[in-house]
Amino acid sequence: MPVVSRLAGIVAAVAAIAATGVAKAEPVKLTWLMWSGSEAEVEAWKHVAGLVTEEHPDITVEFQTTSFPDYWTKLPVLAASNQLPDIVSLQAQRAPGFVDLMTPLDDLIEADGFDIDAFDPSIVEGLSRDGERFAIPYDFGPLILYYNRDLFAQAGVPEPKPGWTEAAFNEAARALTTGDRFGFAVSIPDAFMTYALSTGAHYLDEDGELDLTSQGMVDAFKRYAELVSTEKVAPLMPSSGTQSSSMAAARFTSGNVAMHVNGPWQMINIKGKSGFTVGVAPVPAGAAGSISVSAGSGFGISASSPNQEAAWKAIKVMTGPKAEQYLAEQGRAFPARTAQQSFWYDKAAEGVVGAREGIPAAIATARPYATTPAWASVSALFEQYAPVAFAGSESPEEVLETIQALSDQ
Amino acid sequence: MAQQIARPSLGHPRVLDRARARPAVESYSPTRSDPWTALWFLLPSLLGLILFLVVPLVASLVLSFTNWQIIGQARFVGFSNYVNLTTRDPIFWQVVANTVLFTVEYLLLNIGIALGLAVWISRLSWGKRFFRLAFFLPTFMPMVGIALVWQLMLTPRGLVDGVIALTGLGLPNVLAESTLALQALVLLTLWSHVGYNLMLFGAALESIPESYLDAAAIDGASGWQNFWLIKLPMISPSLFFGTVLTAITTLQAFDQVYALTRGGPGSSTATLGYAIYNQGFVTYKMGYASALAWILFALIMLLTIMQLRLQRRWVHYDQ
Repeated sequence: MPVVSRLAGIVAAVAAIAATGVAKAEPVKLTWLMWSGSEAEVEAWKHVAGLVTEEHPDITVEFQTTSFPDYWTKLPVLAASNQLPDIVSLQAQRAPGFVDLMTPLDDLIEADGFDIDAFDPSIVEGLSRDGERFAIPYDFGPLILYYNRDLFAQAGVPEPKPGWTEAAFNEAARALTTGDRFGFAVSIPDAFMTYALSTGAHYLDEDGELDLTSQGMVDAFKRYAELVSTEKVAPLMPSSGTQSSSMAAARFTSGNVAMHVNGPWQMINIKGKSGFTVGVAPVPAGAAGSISVSAGSGFGISASSPNQEAAWKAIKVMTGPKAEQYLAEQGRAFPARTAQQSFWYDKAAEGVVGAREGIPAAIATARPYATTPAWASVSALFEQYAPVAFAGSESPEEVLETIQALSDQ
Repeated sequence: MAQQIARPSLGHPRVLDRARARPAVESYSPTRSDPWTALWFLLPSLLGLILFLVVPLVASLVLSFTNWQIIGQARFVGFSNYVNLTTRDPIFWQVVANTVLFTVEYLLLNIGIALGLAVWISRLSWGKRFFRLAFFLPTFMPMVGIALVWQLMLTPRGLVDGVIALTGLGLPNVLAESTLALQALVLLTLWSHVGYNLMLFGAALESIPESYLDAAAIDGASGWQNFWLIKLPMISPSLFFGTVLTAITTLQAFDQVYALTRGGPGSSTATLGYAIYNQGFVTYKMGYASALAWILFALIMLLTIMQLRLQRRWVHYDQ
């Protein structure tokens, strides 16, 4: 009997070794879901997926994509049907609702001696819950003001620079609005939140709950909406399947608006596509200063993935120095790895005036983009309802009340 | 007669044998053998019906009594989804009003225009096929694609604005105005779908026997009398069919809303179909969305029953 059991043990051990041997040689195919907004972005992400195979020939990463708004529809549906991809992309603002689907990464980080300190601490924090990390960031960055230098020169308006005020912004927007052209393009909710924070208003209360109807928020939204409704320095854009920030970027690159607020990750869609010289600056300073929100995204492993180990290997490459340098040079990401940020300045923002001074200045005063768990819904409500205030059909106060009421439901 | 009915089961050798062995009348037992045979033939589509219609239907009814949010566990909440919808939801009644307004307006316009065009085309001496095809073509196109093109045409300085500007008039930003956005949806849906009913009514008009119209002509009927007293009653079954079907699909309108306005500005173009999607897949309240779906179902049911009742008054099936 003992001989038999020992034999069985040996057989089992051999089988186990054979099995692991086979598993190692067998190529792993990982799935990765990521949003993208243009062909250029798709190409950039496919390149990043290719980097993984370059580094680990046994791993291939299959890139799946959808538009940004649809991403947040697709993700929970995949989760509910138990079909989450191995690698999940998460944006810090929208991450809180999805943390439970993710593998906590702390043990992997520790076991590997993975240098998490090479990343900007604010975005590492943004992709953690209660100190537990669930995604490794690839980018971050404050929202900044993009402007069309040619139009500024034409209108004889001084270019924005760090420290410029809301009054100067309003004046510039008025001066730049002529005939078919607008001085500014509003977008919601992100760009508006920086505007509100800069006036000293708060969209979350002390407990972190959504609080849109405070006097400060109402005043800020009133002034923001008036840029479209009464001042008419910004075009009225209807709600549609396209995010307002993408619409603003499109109007900007076509030379139709002179300024708009967007993230540094939009550089890939702006530079090279616009037939004019681009400048960037921090958002205009209101009563509370120039306060931007800093947001970013990263990659994590879905808890249901059978390929945890391979996925971790892939993520290390996708957020590694090589990938970060590539994404920075393409203008797709202002790298979360601080050492690679210079590539964004040197390549993506090459010839963009104000980038080197503007972005560090914006980072210095930016706040992490704090949100509520249902931020995808709040964001969608803003996209849908804010145009009513921009059109002047309802008062900004009523619109904020509606969004608040629908979010509380 | 009995043998005739039993014929479909000829393929079954045992039935055949029995039929030979005994007098035909006795051997025929419709309650036993035939239903089972029929069942086997029906099984594939029946299974499909159960799997893809009955099960999801029951599941959504069950879901509508829970607070399921896609991720995480569902909890039974009784009627509170329905209560919240009708008493606390700030936009529910507007969504219902939008849906009803959209359906009624679109239905009247669609049937009116389709009928008018069908009569006009049927009286043409040439180009009948060409015009039918031309009007029918848009029904082949996916609604989302159509909506995207219309979005481009309707934006300020787009095609529609440009054409209107030529006349010296300005067009407001249609899709950004709460009062006009729904009209844009009606217009777009009409353009894309009027061809279907046009085809239906056209075919019905073609099938009216010439002799009826000849007889009417001999009796001295005017063109209007011809239409009102002969053609219209003759095509009333098609008219009824088109009305019921159009009403049902219009109540479910979703694609065009999703692609053109996403329910906005505000909730001025949110239909029940869109609200279900929005609650289910944007705010992840599946239970709530299911409750909405059942309200839409009830609304469609009600309207269809009403139409079936009313048809006795105006639909003529006798030749």
